[in-house]
Amino acid sequence: MRAIWFVSQIVLFGLIASRMINVQEVPDYFRYYVAGLSVMTLYSAAIFIGFDIYEEAEHGVFEYLLSLPVSRRQLVLGRSIGGGLRSFIYVGPLIGVSLYVIGSANPLSFLVSLFALFLFSFGVAGMSITIAVMIKSSDRFDILMGVLDALIVRLSTAMYPLAVVQAANPLYGAVASFNPVTYAADLFRWGTGIEAIITLDNPLMALLGIIMFFAFFTFVGVILYDRRIEGGGWQ
Amino acid sequence: MKAILHIVEHDFRNFFRYKWWLVGLISMNLADLFIMAIVYNRMLSSEIEQQIKSYFNFFAPGLTITGLFASAFMIGREVNMERRREVHQYMLSLPMTRMELAIGRVLSGGLRGMVYMSPLLLTCFAFLGFPTVWQFPIILAVLFFLAIGISGLSIAIAVSTSSLEKFITARGLVYYTLFFCSSVFYPLSLIQKLGQEGKFPTVLVTLAEVNPLSSGADLIRSFLLGNPPFSLNMILNVLVFSAIFTVSAAFAYIKIIQE
Repeated sequence: MRAIWFVSQIVLFGLIASRMINVQEVPDYFRYYVAGLSVMTLYSAAIFIGFDIYEEAEHGVFEYLLSLPVSRRQLVLGRSIGGGLRSFIYVGPLIGVSLYVIGSANPLSFLVSLFALFLFSFGVAGMSITIAVMIKSSDRFDILMGVLDALIVRLSTAMYPLAVVQAANPLYGAVASFNPVTYAADLFRWGTGIEAIITLDNPLMALLGIIMFFAFFTFVGVILYDRRIEGGGWQ
Repeated sequence: MKAILHIVEHDFRNFFRYKWWLVGLISMNLADLFIMAIVYNRMLSSEIEQQIKSYFNFFAPGLTITGLFASAFMIGREVNMERRREVHQYMLSLPMTRMELAIGRVLSGGLRGMVYMSPLLLTCFAFLGFPTVWQFPIILAVLFFLAIGISGLSIAIAVSTSSLEKFITARGLVYYTLFFCSSVFYPLSLIQKLGQEGKFPTVLVTLAEVNPLSSGADLIRSFLLGNPPFSLNMILNVLVFSAIFTVSAAFAYIKIIQE
């Protein structure tokens, strides 16, 4: 399903929308969009771990997990890494498709950007787990993730450059400047050698932003999961 | 008629059970309009800018159609679930004819689409201006027939697929093909130009031209923005689509639930 979405976004939306865009603003919007699309897909795949947690709670798998001879911290770290890794594996072929479209110039930069995407997907999985265990209601989680998805993706550089977002609305620009999706999308573009059409002054700052995002949600996720995993209350 | 109203009431009660989900969906739609469309506004090529003036104004009617489609399509998910859980046995035991049952389902799907779409249409009017007294009922009637057609399409898919995964995959295919090959997100002329240049398959260009989603969005644009010019084909496309899918959904529904 996600593969259909991804391919149709590239061959239909990406192709047609790129004809709408001013080449002075974005010289090659098609390639720009394809790179952003990979990050959007990675984000929505990593979010899915939260839905799995609700399914486990509904089917009583939680009790089984709690009975395993592992600490709560090991459990949540494992979930976070597992969630990030599986979404990366899942999105891997789609990233391959985008690389075919975009091309890659510098292998070293590409490896750095790939590492950043790894951390990004772990961080998103950690965020999804954190929110899932905090609210313990699958309906509310579903809604919140939908709204968050709408805001976090649209207020990022996944679909348009930061300079354009800032020019459109300074508030949007401010949010987009401190958005992990922006960091991941810009680093991926930098890694694939299309940084000429983005405004990434310093890749190190974006990498640092991703590391902070990953660290925050992994460790906050560990603490919250540890505290709220027992006692039921799942809806 | 009374039996049909009972079915409509039943489906509306189900619809409002997901009120928070609907609030979430509306906020996502509004994020598309107030974030994505505003930013895209800044990136338009001069040729497109000359043609549509403002992407925000261009996209607002498209968004109304997006909302209408998403909510009218929801009935299919319920019908598919009923079929898998065999709730349709209960539906068949109700004191009404099979045709009343089928028409009630298609009608309620369409009406639910209209209810969901109304805040988006109002937002569209608030920013683009209000239609005239004779344009307003035409917009409502066309959107209603479009909603009925979409509801019929979703029911036809729901009864033809045996599992939720198959239904979701089929829905995705239909959704992306209909939306991306339409004038919801970009002007039809852009797709036609790509077709002339040989960069877009002719079959998809034709689909975009006869697509009822294009017709619905362009009808609102023609009344509120004056571009593209109004054409009777816009109404005709929607009516044909609605007639085909209402009839096929009603017969497919009757046939499948009796098996």
